[in-house]
Amino acid sequence: MKVSLKNIGKKYEGREEFTLRHIDLDIEDKDFCVILGPSGCGKTTLLRMIAGLNSITEGDLLFNDKRMNKVPSKDRDIAMVFQSYALYPHMTVYDNMAFSLTMRKERKSVIDKAVREAAELLQITNYLHSKPSDISGGQRQRVALGRAMVRRPRVFLMDEPLSNLDAKLREHMRVELVRLHKALETTSIYVTHDQTEAMTMATKIVLMNEGKIQQAGKPDEFYNQPANLFVARFIGSPTMNIFEGMIKDGQFISKDGHIKASPSDKDEASVKAFEGKEVSLGIRSERFLTGDAQEKIEVTVDVVEMLGKEKILYTKLPSGDEIVISVPGHLDFTEDEKYTFGIDHGALHFFDTTTGERINK
Amino acid sequence: MKLFKKKQEFYLSDRQPLTLMGKLMLTLSYLILIGWSIVIVWPLSQMVISAFNGNQGRYLILNRVTDGSYEFSMKHFRFLFEETLYLTWVKNTLFIALATAAITILIVSFTGYAYSRFRFKGRKPSLMAIMLIQTIPAFAGITAYFTMHSVISSVAPFFSRQMMLILIYAGGGIASNTFILKGYMDSISTELDDAAKIDGCSNMKVYRLIIMPIVRPMLSIIALWSFIGPFMDYMLPRVLLTNPNDYTLAQGLFTLMNNRETLNQPAFAAGGLLTALPIVILFAVLQKQLISGLAQGSVKG
Amino acid sequence: MAKYSKVLYDYIGREYERKNLYLKEVALLQEEIKTAPKSDKNALKNQLREFISKKDKNPYLLKLKEYEHKEKRFLEELQSKTKTYMETMDKTLSSAVLGLEKTLFQSKQKVDFYEAFTGLTYDAEYAYRESSINVKLLPTIIYNIKRLEEELRKAEKFHSEENKETIRGEIDKFKKEQKAVYDHRLQELKKKRRDGLISEKALKNGQKELKKNYQYAVNVKEYEHPDKMKRELVKSKKFELKDYIKVNRRIVAADIADARRTTPVETMKTLPVNTVLGALVPGLGQLLNKQPVKAALFFIGLLFIYAAAIPYALGYGNYQGNGIAGLITLAEGARRIDRSLIFMIEGIVAIVLLLFAAGIFIANFKDIRSVEKSYIKGSREKNWFETTRTIEEEGFPYLVSIPALIVISFIVLVPIFTAILLSFTGMDPRNQSKFPWVGIQNYRLIALGQGLAGSVFWRILGWTLIWTLTATTLAIFIGFGLALLANNPRIKGKAFFRMVYLLPWAVPAFITIMFFSIMFSNTGALTEIVTNVFGVSIDFKNNTFWSRFILVMMQGWLGSSYVFLLSTGVLQAIPEDLYEAADIDGANSWQKIRKITLPMVLFQTAPLLVNQYTFNFNNFSIIYLFNGGGPFNPSVYGNLAGSSDILISYIYKLTMDNQYQSIGAAISIVISIGLMIFAFIGYKNSKAFKEERL
Repeated sequence: MKVSLKNIGKKYEGREEFTLRHIDLDIEDKDFCVILGPSGCGKTTLLRMIAGLNSITEGDLLFNDKRMNKVPSKDRDIAMVFQSYALYPHMTVYDNMAFSLTMRKERKSVIDKAVREAAELLQITNYLHSKPSDISGGQRQRVALGRAMVRRPRVFLMDEPLSNLDAKLREHMRVELVRLHKALETTSIYVTHDQTEAMTMATKIVLMNEGKIQQAGKPDEFYNQPANLFVARFIGSPTMNIFEGMIKDGQFISKDGHIKASPSDKDEASVKAFEGKEVSLGIRSERFLTGDAQEKIEVTVDVVEMLGKEKILYTKLPSGDEIVISVPGHLDFTEDEKYTFGIDHGALHFFDTTTGERINK
Repeated sequence: MKLFKKKQEFYLSDRQPLTLMGKLMLTLSYLILIGWSIVIVWPLSQMVISAFNGNQGRYLILNRVTDGSYEFSMKHFRFLFEETLYLTWVKNTLFIALATAAITILIVSFTGYAYSRFRFKGRKPSLMAIMLIQTIPAFAGITAYFTMHSVISSVAPFFSRQMMLILIYAGGGIASNTFILKGYMDSISTELDDAAKIDGCSNMKVYRLIIMPIVRPMLSIIALWSFIGPFMDYMLPRVLLTNPNDYTLAQGLFTLMNNRETLNQPAFAAGGLLTALPIVILFAVLQKQLISGLAQGSVKG
Repeated sequence: MAKYSKVLYDYIGREYERKNLYLKEVALLQEEIKTAPKSDKNALKNQLREFISKKDKNPYLLKLKEYEHKEKRFLEELQSKTKTYMETMDKTLSSAVLGLEKTLFQSKQKVDFYEAFTGLTYDAEYAYRESSINVKLLPTIIYNIKRLEEELRKAEKFHSEENKETIRGEIDKFKKEQKAVYDHRLQELKKKRRDGLISEKALKNGQKELKKNYQYAVNVKEYEHPDKMKRELVKSKKFELKDYIKVNRRIVAADIADARRTTPVETMKTLPVNTVLGALVPGLGQLLNKQPVKAALFFIGLLFIYAAAIPYALGYGNYQGNGIAGLITLAEGARRIDRSLIFMIEGIVAIVLLLFAAGIFIANFKDIRSVEKSYIKGSREKNWFETTRTIEEEGFPYLVSIPALIVISFIVLVPIFTAILLSFTGMDPRNQSKFPWVGIQNYRLIALGQGLAGSVFWRILGWTLIWTLTATTLAIFIGFGLALLANNPRIKGKAFFRMVYLLPWAVPAFITIMFFSIMFSNTGALTEIVTNVFGVSIDFKNNTFWSRFILVMMQGWLGSSYVFLLSTGVLQAIPEDLYEAADIDGANSWQKIRKITLPMVLFQTAPLLVNQYTFNFNNFSIIYLFNGGGPFNPSVYGNLAGSSDILISYIYKLTMDNQYQSIGAAISIVISIGLMIFAFIGYKNSKAFKEERL
């Protein structure tokens, strides 16, 4: 089912400012849309508004072009997985999963079939008659998923469902969720603050900050074409290196003068338009060249982090600014030594320092 | 072999062996603990023994079991059942206690839910205000209760003194019990409410199907306290209940030892024993819940 | 000249342009006048005046009038058209469908009519939008209702071809199979337990799960029986139909409500007339505000106020009293059987009723005013659906609290006020039936230590304080000490000690108190033992010192149990790490107790311990039941009080035995204020209030 948000805004009573305003978003049918953002950016509020748990102050929420603003949660044909799973502690797993259908006075055979099917898919058939307090965290999470699946909703809503699991289990469940999504072919809207989850699971990412959408699109767009400084810094680990400076003679020169970078042919025109203005340059840690290059920088290595398949070098420029560079693990670098790295023109991100917006499209 | 195994287990205990001082302190502790146990048990055992001592008239005597002045008998119990209104007192007290518990639970379950789950104007001040007002001893209102009852019963004769008593007990407990229940409910995540609403529940259904089953332990505790309260109270029944047929246990048993005419101390002992026994058993079985209820009332808030 | 705003505002402050061109012109002119330099002001004011004088010939207003005529005619025609239309409808359709068809027909007509006028006035635009919503949504709904009704009919008519006997047989066979499986698995589980592979708890849980598994499987199978299946199907379909109608009705109403929220309303009115008119007549204001259903609710409030509260306050319908006036006269000069006390109480009840009435007035006033003010600004009034929704969402807590509030008002508040007022009267043995107001005389007597009230008051207060402090502290000391000793991990037999220490609390206090009273009497067992052991014959109950001493000891005995249990619970909750860290830091046992155990336990149990002090301050039972507050000591304590009386038992004697109710009330009030202050300080500092979670 297609979910559209048109000019959605939320204002809490008693507060002066709108918490969210002018949110426009289109989520296609069968999309796995991840709403990403730091704490307090409004992503959970947005999800709850789609769910009907919070009221919508202005704008329209449409499910397949049908206006849903005032439809109560139970009639929106949605299902939600909460961060704490919200399993009814006094009911067995079976009853938890069957609850929504029981409330609709569905037939027992229908309920039984639906519950068992979901249990099969999630491999929790053995726990059907246990209580939530008797099973582990990972199993509880699957029960929460099962409870949502049984309803056969048209939209799945998930509020940071993996944050209570340990690292290994989280990795495993990420893949499981994607598999489930493919099998069920239901539109899913997933909220998280973890960019790895977003990048690996989403077909569409919506990055929010301070109640506004910073960028919406496919994961690789975020990585390769961040729309502003916030997005550039948020996505990617290690964080993108950002240098402040100016455009002089069509070339970027950093404040301390140590970095000179020329735009590629593709970017030349857009960069030239910012001649004389304050511009920030972004370079991802893995895009520094170890071989020969036209424009180079010289840095001193401070700390070397060994990750196995790669090394992360925390280096310092003569001016004292830090650059994070990641290199393949088989190369050797020694701390306190000076090294030279090349700048890859095709991997430069230019941003207007005042507005934060991207320059080179 | 088993003996040796036990000894080994003993010496493999995690704690360091005791010093002489330690051993002395331990013995002292035991002495104190056992000594106090005797202080508790002796008077109570006296009551038990006296209840069965047939060699007493209307006064209790010191029970000297050894010199033959003790005579086991059930006559005091018979006296209690046949010559006094003991059974009526039991019936009255049970009725009042059950009614109080029922009304309290009914009202408090809703107010607790309302105060826990909803933010509405006047929430904080009203709770604070009522808690303060309830520190005023019930006694201050005695004259009023008496008169109010006579006014109302002349208009609606079925409104008995007992009903007044029940209302006073229940009404007096509303604020503090709401407070306790609210505190307990606050610890239940509101995400459960959300999940239930998405699954198709209205406010009432959320309460009935989800919240109430979870707070059942706390509701039981509140019911228990509301039930026991009337049992233990002497003052209010003494003031309100003037007809001996209406007396509660506390009142009735008092007449057995206070009033020259109806004095019969051994019967009192028998009555006391019969009354105390079920309550002691109740407490013993439920002591964990009762204590946790108290503790939660203060800790949680 | 009333001021008009240039634009209209809805409930969240969004702006809408005016459609009423006349008012727009006026507003514009008014704004110009405000911002114009002084020299132009007069000219502009004249312009405005002239414009207003030509109101009757204003083109827009004329068009508006014409529209209103047309609308009236249209609506009349619509009535008759609808009637004819409905007669053509299939009579076998359900009432739900018929109702919707009617609405749909009317809406279609309305859409056609109002479309032309949407630019003229917002009311037309709203009518157009409302009808469009109906036209858009209702056909699908009607279709689906018909479909679901058909499915329900089919389900009801359904007759299974299958042989019921065979099915029954199949079901029973399945049951047997499942039972066999269940038994088998149960045996396996039990064997595992015997072999020590799983714990007792695991066995219990496993048993429960197996049982549930069996039950659920059988239950589902049972519904394969045609009779059950049909019943279930019918029930399911019925619910689906009912639910569908309910949900979709709501959706349509909600969309219409949305239209209401976003279509402003224009009015010539600038003064909140309705508020003034309706302030004293609950219900009228709502009617004037075009909210008839809400008006009906407030009419009930109106009835309460004018037919119950006010008449009662004036004296009608009183049992004996005279309403508020009764408070002043206190039955002075009234009939023989009239009692001052009843007059007073009825006066208080009248005040309470008036308070409720005041509440209704305030709610009424606020409601009319907010609705009318928003209306003038441009926000359309809410229809009944929107109001019910607000009540559902926000009104729930108020609704459920009302019974509690009523109970508390009458059971708690009225008696307290009675006591307060009583303390200012002179109700004593000679003035039982009728008594006068005496002002603060009673309090003065208390403060100065004079008269019946005051002379012994301070002495009794002194003993009460000593009693409270010593008895409670003793109980806490014993209880806590025992808890500490018993909590030592090296002590064995904890369960036994706990059982025994539970007894003083479990056995109802009045029984033990009365029993001790017997035992310390002159013929009592304990008196006898003391005589035998110490050789002295003490008359305990007639000796002030001994009576008091025994009371304190008894309370220590009784109260220690409760403190013990409480402390034990808290002691066990203190994490071991704290003690282990202290060990490493080199603390000895005494230091550990002082710095860790004591503070932690006291902090956790502080509110409850505070309660113990207030409890003993008012501990009527023990004082009265033990020795009636005696022994008697007229030279020191006067003729009423005994030397072991505490304030509360003294009040009892004053009020019940000697009929000095007013003095008793005065003392009660003094104690209560003291206790309230004490409790307030205690609560303020307790954990609950410090954490904002209240």
